[in-house]
Amino acid sequence: MRAYTPKNDVQKKSYYTDRYWVAPQVAKSAVSDDAVFEADLNAIKAKFDVSEAYIQVEQMVVYIKPEDLVGVLTLLRDECEYTQLSELSAIDWLAKQGQFELFYQMLSMTKRKRLRIKCFIDEDQAIESVSSLFRSADWSEREMYDMFGVKVNNHPFMKRILMPDDWQGHPLRKTYPLQGDEFASWYEVDRIYGKEARDVIGPEIRESAKVDRYDTERFSRLGYEVPFGAEPKAADAEKTPLAYQEEEGVFLIEKFDENDVVESAEFRKR
Amino acid sequence: MAQHQVNYSQDGGLPVALTTIDKVVNWGRSNSLWALTYGLACCGIEMMASGASRYDFDRFGTIFRASPRQSEVMIVAGTLTKKHAEFIKRLYDQMAEPRWVISMGSCANTGGMFNTYATVQGVDRVIPVDLYLPGCAPRPETLQYAVMMLQKKIRSEKAAKAQRPKRLM
Amino acid sequence: MQQPNRLRPFFENITFDREDNEMIVNFGPQHPSAHGQLRLMLHLQQEQIVKAHPDVGYLHRGMEKMAENMIYNEFMPTTDRMDYIASSSNNYGFALAVEKLIDVEVPRRAKVIRMMILEINRLMSHLFWLATTALDIGAMTVFLYAFREREYLMDIIEGYCGARLTHAAIRIGGVPLDIQDNFISELKAFLDKLPENIKDYEDLLDKNRIWLMRMEDVGVIPTDMALSWGCTGPMLRASGVAWDIRKEEPYELYDEVEFEVPFSDKGDNYARYKVYMQEMRESAKILYQTIDMYAETVANNQTELMAHAPKFISAPKLELMTQNYSLMQHFVLVTQGMRPPVGEVYIATESPKGELGFFINSQGGPYPYRLKLRAPSFWHTGILTDLLPGHYIPDVVSIIGTTNIVFGEVDR
Repeated sequence: MRAYTPKNDVQKKSYYTDRYWVAPQVAKSAVSDDAVFEADLNAIKAKFDVSEAYIQVEQMVVYIKPEDLVGVLTLLRDECEYTQLSELSAIDWLAKQGQFELFYQMLSMTKRKRLRIKCFIDEDQAIESVSSLFRSADWSEREMYDMFGVKVNNHPFMKRILMPDDWQGHPLRKTYPLQGDEFASWYEVDRIYGKEARDVIGPEIRESAKVDRYDTERFSRLGYEVPFGAEPKAADAEKTPLAYQEEEGVFLIEKFDENDVVESAEFRKR
Repeated sequence: MAQHQVNYSQDGGLPVALTTIDKVVNWGRSNSLWALTYGLACCGIEMMASGASRYDFDRFGTIFRASPRQSEVMIVAGTLTKKHAEFIKRLYDQMAEPRWVISMGSCANTGGMFNTYATVQGVDRVIPVDLYLPGCAPRPETLQYAVMMLQKKIRSEKAAKAQRPKRLM
Repeated sequence: MQQPNRLRPFFENITFDREDNEMIVNFGPQHPSAHGQLRLMLHLQQEQIVKAHPDVGYLHRGMEKMAENMIYNEFMPTTDRMDYIASSSNNYGFALAVEKLIDVEVPRRAKVIRMMILEINRLMSHLFWLATTALDIGAMTVFLYAFREREYLMDIIEGYCGARLTHAAIRIGGVPLDIQDNFISELKAFLDKLPENIKDYEDLLDKNRIWLMRMEDVGVIPTDMALSWGCTGPMLRASGVAWDIRKEEPYELYDEVEFEVPFSDKGDNYARYKVYMQEMRESAKILYQTIDMYAETVANNQTELMAHAPKFISAPKLELMTQNYSLMQHFVLVTQGMRPPVGEVYIATESPKGELGFFINSQGGPYPYRLKLRAPSFWHTGILTDLLPGHYIPDVVSIIGTTNIVFGEVDR
């Protein structure tokens, strides 16, 4: 019987973690340490619910409710001078708490401050698009949908952006294996040649370090080649010499001599 | 898998004695290989560098053409992703015979460092390849060596009938 | 001979029963112009574009997912392949983000060397930009000249770290290697000739009638559109906002060097071109100053290259090979990976293309829980949706050229 591997998080895990080891935390400080951030936080708190706020690595992080997203971002853009949405994406916590954590990274150029707005949504909860506020969200939300399957309402063009249009599965979820599920591994063969070609072409070879000394068709015998189909003998390690051109030379083409070296340092003395 | 027409043994082991016409035709073909610019990723930059001022490609008679109809060798330089696989097959089909493919760089040979869901693990899953060029990214001189190898290979082929189709499936 | 396959002819451009005279042109993923794999579907009304739909993802290699399965040091060469024209700037962004997460201080000499490499990468990237944009517009001479300059820079970097294009020269905690003996002399020789070379390019292009016709008033990005679309870097600076992260949120030793930030308020192709050319000169200025700073570290005998943080960063090679505990710790760090504290960080640096940001959410494990790469070219490609309508087809090429898009970044 094979060992049970949980399927809700198939990413690589460290093979050993000390049982009583507690990971340290990156320092968080209270928002009151920074006057500018405090003013912004109060502006948000005045109209919306904030569940948590702190400063980490010189940037304020504010947790809000997903319903308030458009409102908070409008407030930040119009009143608090956060004119650019640098980035928006999601973090997959489906295994731990069945939710996605969205983050919106804002930048204020006049105040030279960066702010992160975060919220938690359920797996099938939809959010409102902020692309009417910031056009950069247009593509970011498409990418978020493509990679995580987060549903976004009122988006001008909600189609997959990085994966092909007919892809099944949301790659950045923790349940999606790095090397792709079965649909992914046969995608190009199915699309170009059809399912019948799967046997002809064969499965993908994903073992990067596989070396087979009897393999005359791949790269393992590089430099020590034998004729096609011949048996490589154990003791014959005859290196195939580098031969740039045929021995007798080619008509009108200058014979290439590898000992005829041009010093490139010559060209640097201008 | 790509069937191999590549002969791993040395020049002396040619199976066929070539006629003069073959020789002349092959000489012409090998020395005016027009390449299809298929720079997909970082190797494409090295391919451009190998065609630029220091490592010139024009001395091989190779000009980079953008259209598959006018080119003979497709140098696949860079990572082939599954989204793009369909298009490389289309472009390969649009090239006229005789045509050859050089797979440049680790990503085109075997998928390279990107052992992920979106990368085709080697261009030869989709199109038949004549020459594999390892490196990440291979130096421009390496690409030029590959072109010289391809020229040698072309000169050793039979020119009379159209190339035996390299059946991928 | 056609092998049997499933691909049917691609006739989506032609719909035979259209009432309006609109034609759809597919600017396919394989490009004659050198920018990578952009698929643009342009709806044309006679020759003018009425709708543009850029389609990206043809180079999506799954880097963010790779990061969730690799230790931090292992992921460094992958960041190289994002903006593959100036790879060390991606390396540096990632290294800086991790260093902020684990809170280590990089030694001074390493900072100076890092700045030198970063500015050399900026020059390489801008030269490449100039070469390919000029090539697209048709000025092939500039392509060859700029590549010649770029080759000298690549020689210098190759002498330093061994690789021309994908460097991995900057590691978490510093740099692994000290600069080689002829680095400074070759760099100085290059920098001395750079102003006349830039002047050559400007003489060829600045007042050239064809260049002006193709570049002036083409692709005007108003300031609010640039801000809304998340444009950063030269795109934003050419649209009127003088925002350069090196000046505003300085990292490394950028607050100790003097340089100016060129910006323009016109926002068209020509403005971007001028911003890039001027930035090359500013990079040369910075590099002269870093050469002096390096000499200063030699005089002050500050020779450390990697930060001292044994829990996260391996010891230097000399110590590794002679001290037992350093070797043991190095073994653990390489096999298991270093474990940063639990927390999140978003750090943005000024890469040659714009604001390159790394968002790392760590849960204390050796692999990042979530790594988001904020690539400037992603939104610079998105802006084409709003920018292209109203222009003609040749303008598309020049606009794509000046927006300096690299698809390794866009698709990751």
